[in-house]
Amino acid sequence: MKKERSKKYIALQRLRVASQAGFFALFLYLLIGARYTGEDYISSTVQRFFHFDPLLALVTIVSARVLVASFAFALVTVAATVLLGRVFCGWVCPLGSVHQFSSFAFKRTKFLRPPKEETSSLAWKYYILFVLLAAALLGLNLSGTLDPFSFLTRSLSTAVFPALAQGLSSLNGLVYGLGLVSVGRSISHFLEDWSLNVTFIQGFAIGLMLLGALALNARKERFWCRYLCPTGALLGLLSRLGVFKLRIDPGKCIECGLCTQHCQTQARPFPNDEWKSGECVFCETCAAICPTGAIGFPARFSAEKMSSVSNVALARRKVLLSAFLGFFSVPFFRLTPFRRRASLKLIRPPGSLPESGFLAKCVKCGQCMRACPTNGLQPALAEAGPEGLWTPVLVPKIGYCEYYCSLCTQVCPTGAIKELTIEEKSEVKIGAAWVRKERCIPYVLGKPCIVCEEHCPVSPKAIKLVDVEAHLADGRVVVHKGPVVDIELCIGCGICENKCPVMDEPAIFVTSVGESRSDKNRLLLEIIPDAGDDPYR
Amino acid sequence: MKRRDFIRAAAVGGIALRWGRPLFAGQAPPPVPDLAVVEGASPYAITKEVVASLGGMSRFVGKGDRVVIKPNIGWDRTPEMAANTNPEVVKALVELAQDAGARRVIVIDNTTNQARRCYIRSGIQDAVKEAGGTMLFVDEQHRVRKMALGGTWLKEWDVVLDVIEADKVINVPIAKHHSLCQLTLGMKNWLGAIGGARNQLHQRIDEAMVDLAAFFKPALTVLDAYRILVRNGPQGGRVSDTELRETIVAGADVAAVETMGASLFGLGPKDLLFLRLAHERGLGRIDLEGLTIEKRKI
Repeated sequence: MKKERSKKYIALQRLRVASQAGFFALFLYLLIGARYTGEDYISSTVQRFFHFDPLLALVTIVSARVLVASFAFALVTVAATVLLGRVFCGWVCPLGSVHQFSSFAFKRTKFLRPPKEETSSLAWKYYILFVLLAAALLGLNLSGTLDPFSFLTRSLSTAVFPALAQGLSSLNGLVYGLGLVSVGRSISHFLEDWSLNVTFIQGFAIGLMLLGALALNARKERFWCRYLCPTGALLGLLSRLGVFKLRIDPGKCIECGLCTQHCQTQARPFPNDEWKSGECVFCETCAAICPTGAIGFPARFSAEKMSSVSNVALARRKVLLSAFLGFFSVPFFRLTPFRRRASLKLIRPPGSLPESGFLAKCVKCGQCMRACPTNGLQPALAEAGPEGLWTPVLVPKIGYCEYYCSLCTQVCPTGAIKELTIEEKSEVKIGAAWVRKERCIPYVLGKPCIVCEEHCPVSPKAIKLVDVEAHLADGRVVVHKGPVVDIELCIGCGICENKCPVMDEPAIFVTSVGESRSDKNRLLLEIIPDAGDDPYR
Repeated sequence: MKRRDFIRAAAVGGIALRWGRPLFAGQAPPPVPDLAVVEGASPYAITKEVVASLGGMSRFVGKGDRVVIKPNIGWDRTPEMAANTNPEVVKALVELAQDAGARRVIVIDNTTNQARRCYIRSGIQDAVKEAGGTMLFVDEQHRVRKMALGGTWLKEWDVVLDVIEADKVINVPIAKHHSLCQLTLGMKNWLGAIGGARNQLHQRIDEAMVDLAAFFKPALTVLDAYRILVRNGPQGGRVSDTELRETIVAGADVAAVETMGASLFGLGPKDLLFLRLAHERGLGRIDLEGLTIEKRKI
């Protein structure tokens, strides 16, 4: 018998690789574009990818109990998956591409030697999905932790880009050292131009998580996609019709098992009737690798039976158990005091919804942190409770909120940060500044300073200067101008804290109190100004 | 473009008239003034005129020089807020330096807000690009070095290398209100040519300014008082914080330029410590009576 691989499927496989590369490049391009490019308003950024994600759409809509119009794009993915199966995972998903490429590298370097027969349970991702969906019913949005778009965007924004920028900058020292001043200038110009933020408190931990996820590919090909990805699980459940069905020509098959051994997602092409269409990502590897060209994906219009959608033994009890786990985990996330009482350091980006609505919508993708021109937006660790892990929080010591900028509000994919114009944004209070007189230079050291007042961007300034007496150690009393905050004018942008020359613990600092978004965390109650009218009439 | 062409033609005409006069009338060329003050509706034209009044850019910039122009681009503000130097003023100077034979004209400032935002929104990046100059960002990590300043108070500080490597430096500040030194004019602008913890200099800001001015030694100081910031300085925030004065003051003597600039705010050397310190350090004259001042209106 003639032994020849299928030219058609080798071409299709190449096309799939090209598609992956294309979508990954587009994703990167859009993510890099989420920055100040010279325009006050940026049009389409990487948030569009998120709108095609049915998991984020479903969980966000359910947990926030509100329809988000831009998530209509997710219906495209749903329709494609119902008709064609998980092509999204195999051909589009940028995190899937990263995993597939690293798996390929591990295979080539023999770190990964796939066994003839893989038996590990594929059910875990479905249970993870059920936990997420059940939690969403009670208003808890955990989708961002494991959703591929959120995971990748967060990892790139807060770990990979910063590390690359740091590395490039260090390399630049060498370039300058060699006397190549103009090359060095181009590199630093490029770094400034792309506004790659380099400081992230959690950058190391988040980077380690990405490395861990990639390292798992040395154990099993596309480990994440097979066992962890809740979006993949949702798409697996949706892949009902599957127009293109795997078919092995029994006359050609030599039962070598190569197809099953090298299946990226453990979909078990051989034997034919055990093929798991809900696991197949249509990477075309089996059909392209088959030494006799026995495998094909002819079109057939008949729905799959549920059992053969995944052939994954989803034990009913385990499904119920995971849903219960999702339900009962919710109260544990809510044991923190932050829902009842605002957190001191939880300064949210301008335009953020009130805290509970914010948490229900935020998918922790970190695009706002990528777009922030001052690097001030950071992934939260404990500031917002366990529910708020990796949600954005402004850390003024690292960066302040730029007065004429509303980029973070423009890139948010879910509307957790409401989109604002520059004019609207400059009216929003995100907190209030407080002078720490016991550390302030004119108050205790008896020297002039006024740096906070100088930087205050509002006009008239929210920081006023008054004569203050400093009682010095030698008994002298010195008078200089010291800062006092006018809380009605202060918007909490934090530039005063950022620029304060008292470096370790600034003598002026911002806390969340007075934020516009909260009707509890208020400072000044607006009394109806028209006193002529009787308010009780 | 038409208006711009007209202004350019007017400026060229003005220069021609000035140099043309001795030819036609047979007079001796007038002496070069210590200070030039030009008023007019176009910041671009009055900048060109002010340099012409001082005897032209070739007095300050030689052929093949590497020139650094140091405007104030400290803030993320648009030109009508008068927080940064007017972009048309910078543009005119870049062109003049190039016409005088400069090999390369670099415009740079160590900004307070994000550099990219300041460069773009001040309008200066586009203006410099149009004029054919180069805008550089300050590279705090590699292009700033601690060096001896020889100041009376500031002995050493981190200095931006791109500035001190230039053959000629032109200082182009904007006249603004400042709540610590009352005004920020020419010398204060040098805080944008250094790195490090600049906010600590406020403890003795007047001495720091004078020490820096003595160190950088600009060939020419061009003070932009086209639109001045009269309150809420040094960044303002509303157009109502500014006043339109349509004036440019220039000269090689920074103290004299600043004294003239301060008079626009109704202040003099007796009000401003940094002016008296600058005079004591021999940086220039603060008595305008003894100076030759060329005043023009176009």
